[in-house]
Amino acid sequence: MPETPEKTSRQDWVGGRRARYDALGRVRGVVGHVGDQPVGTCAHVAVHRSTQPHAAIRAVHTEEALAIDGVYAVVTGADLHKRFGEALLTGPAFADQPALAYDKVRFVGEPVAAVLAADLATAREAADAVYVEYDELDPVYDLDTALNGESYVHDELRPSAVFGDLRHLDGVRDTNINYEYRLRHGNPNKVSGARTVRGEFWAPPTHHVPIELPCTVAWVEGGRLEMLTTTQTPSYVRQTIADLLDLPLSRVRVTTRPLGGSFGAKMYDRLEPLAAALAWQFQRKVRLAASREEAFLLTTRHGAAITSTLTADAGGQLSAATADVAYDTGAYADVGPRITAKSGMVAPGPYRIGSVDVRSRCVYTNKPSAGPFRGFGVPQVTWSHESLIDELAHELGEDPYAFRREHLLREGDLAPMGTRMHSADFVGCLDAVAESISWDTQPDRGTGRIRRGRGVAVGVKAVLTPTIANAVLQLNQDASATLMISTVDMGQGSDTIMAQIVADVLRVDSRRVHVVRADTDVTPYDTITAGSRSTYHTGNAVRAVAESMRVRLLALAAEQPEQPEQHGQPERSGVDTGELDEERIAEIVHAHFGARGATLTTEANFTSSWSPYDKETGRSEKVTEHWFAGAVGVRLAVDTATGRVHLEHLAVAGDVGRAINPALVEQQLTGAAIMGIGHALFDQLVLDQGQLVNGTLLDYQLPSIRDLPDELTPIIVESPHDDGPFGAKGVGETGILAVAPAIGNAIRDAIGLRFTRLPMTPEAIVTALESR
Amino acid sequence: MMSTVDNPMVYGGGTAIQILIKQGILFADNFVDLAGIPGLTEITADAAGLRAGPMVTARGMETDDRVRRVAPLASTAYRHVANPRVRNTASIGGNLAHGDYRLDPPPALLALDATVEATSVRGTRSLPVRQFFVDFQQTALAPDELVTAVRIPAQPTGSAYRFVKYSSLSANDWPCASVAVLIAGREVHIGLGALAPVPRYASFDATGMTDQAAVDAALEVIAPLLDPIPDVRGSVRYKRRLAQVIVEDAVRGAWKDLDNA
Repeated sequence: MPETPEKTSRQDWVGGRRARYDALGRVRGVVGHVGDQPVGTCAHVAVHRSTQPHAAIRAVHTEEALAIDGVYAVVTGADLHKRFGEALLTGPAFADQPALAYDKVRFVGEPVAAVLAADLATAREAADAVYVEYDELDPVYDLDTALNGESYVHDELRPSAVFGDLRHLDGVRDTNINYEYRLRHGNPNKVSGARTVRGEFWAPPTHHVPIELPCTVAWVEGGRLEMLTTTQTPSYVRQTIADLLDLPLSRVRVTTRPLGGSFGAKMYDRLEPLAAALAWQFQRKVRLAASREEAFLLTTRHGAAITSTLTADAGGQLSAATADVAYDTGAYADVGPRITAKSGMVAPGPYRIGSVDVRSRCVYTNKPSAGPFRGFGVPQVTWSHESLIDELAHELGEDPYAFRREHLLREGDLAPMGTRMHSADFVGCLDAVAESISWDTQPDRGTGRIRRGRGVAVGVKAVLTPTIANAVLQLNQDASATLMISTVDMGQGSDTIMAQIVADVLRVDSRRVHVVRADTDVTPYDTITAGSRSTYHTGNAVRAVAESMRVRLLALAAEQPEQPEQHGQPERSGVDTGELDEERIAEIVHAHFGARGATLTTEANFTSSWSPYDKETGRSEKVTEHWFAGAVGVRLAVDTATGRVHLEHLAVAGDVGRAINPALVEQQLTGAAIMGIGHALFDQLVLDQGQLVNGTLLDYQLPSIRDLPDELTPIIVESPHDDGPFGAKGVGETGILAVAPAIGNAIRDAIGLRFTRLPMTPEAIVTALESR
Repeated sequence: MMSTVDNPMVYGGGTAIQILIKQGILFADNFVDLAGIPGLTEITADAAGLRAGPMVTARGMETDDRVRRVAPLASTAYRHVANPRVRNTASIGGNLAHGDYRLDPPPALLALDATVEATSVRGTRSLPVRQFFVDFQQTALAPDELVTAVRIPAQPTGSAYRFVKYSSLSANDWPCASVAVLIAGREVHIGLGALAPVPRYASFDATGMTDQAAVDAALEVIAPLLDPIPDVRGSVRYKRRLAQVIVEDAVRGAWKDLDNA
């Protein structure tokens, strides 16, 4: 659906509210996703999954499956291990996950064998016909068993060769802890406090549930492995597959289509290693498509247990914070160790605190693997610190809003982990949500069945650092442009804002800027599309590539004789005024090449850097390139008869530095808040003895339109970042951080009960009310 | 036709069947689509009440003026089914034949004393809805029988009613408890959904009662009927508690309408 051409206006440039270029197409279903693409003749793949949470594989019987008409081949983990050796084990932090299990299985639902067949139904039928003999091992169902028991999910730790800081863990045995981060500053044990609050918090595993299901097609062409896949991380997948198949990067091609949502679900190693291994093994095209039920088993959000304290001294200053955090990463580490450190370091919260002591551990269990999820582990620790500070305020008889406000980090402050705050306007965000929900007006709390309350909470998260972004810009002679970046548009609108940045610099209509979707043969390396990093990192590369083009154009113009008769502006000179427009660009390029349709190309890189954590203290003077600051304010009503929470107003604010596109920023804040409402009130993966109980959309609970607050107010706070493109930072995760504690704090205000376990279901609320 | 194909299953709106097929727990070799058969989508009304064909959609029951006028409780219950997209497809015959304990219409049809017309090669028989739900996902229909109509008696003038549905997690989820209450004359009729392996029915004579007495009596008559299935939506204890809350809400609400009438 082509957009209606309009005259170029500020709405198409930086700060403009241009609609997503693909909005209509996505709503109408005419944007082609990976699963929609015709693939021609191929082998459809189904996998046989483990029925055991933890067991050694004694034998895999494939004869019956092979005998079914239409089955091309049945492959076991042992077959692949024989062919690919230890390269079969992949993962972003630890090389611990095989494409198919070969020695033992580590969760119910783990792939053990793969069937290639003429169609998916046959492949599934044959997968069911595979029979596996197991020798059961003691299962590790939960954190407690993992930390205190004697059964180990992995015999030894296998850190990925890529990361030097994990090297000391290589070969460590007899533990389920694959990573421990420690933050120590001052001495919280020696602090004698006027008041200490303490809590044992729990945030359960959840699933991302993007509407588009994961799908991967892989084939071999000209001795190269080519792949079309639903991934947020094409550059990572290319490297992983090159390593797996022992190929140079030039012989691996990874392409994507627009993703239908992801939230971290389609990152790193999902279907891709198995698809690549099978395509390479059989030298034929294979198609793996996850069903909704299978998608629940691919990756999850970490369940986390946090035991924490917060202490105020006699003068009311925050003197100490401690937190013991355990992330349940399931059967495979995935990116859990990174989550453990990045979230552990903000576990005390964005406050001025004298002394801190944090231990954050990443723990294996026999559950589906947990990986990245919008917020990267931070919502779990925010649940802890925002509940604690709220409770401390109540204990001290202080207003929870004013108490936070007094202690929040300001511009230039050193956070507990040693990094300075810049462009992180916590106070501005908190003030904005407090004003929006009329904090100063006491709610009508009620005395009968319905009770009302209000709550606020603040969140802080670091952007993924260090990372690399590249951009290539091809300017066409007609003043349209083709931008090559490997950022994946999954609905967040990155293609739209990158076009706005190019257009702003070159002073052209942003709708004339086409963003090429990620294709590792064409688009340059980009670390990942995740961690809310694209607006800042790729945005900086895109701004630089456009600036470079502008300089190039002006230089070309300077070489060219003026053509005042065409403009009627005899004084005009591109070099002197620095002014470009579409007409002028077309003239400059045409004059340079003497041809219509010619192209000019520029390229640019943006790389961020960090200082690694100090080994002793866990501190770093630059742990991140920049910060995300957000706040949430809630007014709600609790039905004390049923326990049901009704959200009357939710305001969510995020400091985005500068909004490249305010409409898209508001939508990100809104979407994140809605997702957070689910996590606060009912969204969770329920497991019983390692078996997923609610892994279907009949039973898994997502917020529906009727769960939305009566009023939902997204608020943009702009405190420009010195190094951001036009001052901008990302916003994909900011809005989710503080939602659950804001709701928990409002429930505390309404009924006087503090909840420490998520989700706060009606049953949990009723049970607590009854036992009061 | 049903008697000539192997292992057949009637296909109405398909909203339940499609889910069961996807779950891999429906084993039928042939589906007999009712969509093309004339006469199954008709609603007729007379002094006694309504007769609705099995292929009338939930949306049809919700919006049809005659249903709204003659049996507003039924219309209200059908309005609570899923969402408009599903309601526009789901058939009322299939909804009954599914026999699921959590569906919205059965409590209302129980309270209203509806009857199901079941037809096979042997002829047509009439089954009271109050005897229709036999066991967990099992109805009184014989395997070769088809629901050919639902008859709903007209709600008496001066009656009052309420349909209350409560989801414990996402607001759009299956109900954790649902209730239909019809107060007609002196009699209070209560249909319960999601609170036992089958939809359940109870009634009592409320002659001379105050609203509080009626609530107490309602809670007493439903108590032996409650046999909730614990699941992610709630424990037995919580579902029992909810049953009391929604029955009280529904009886009190209907009683208030009676007083105001």
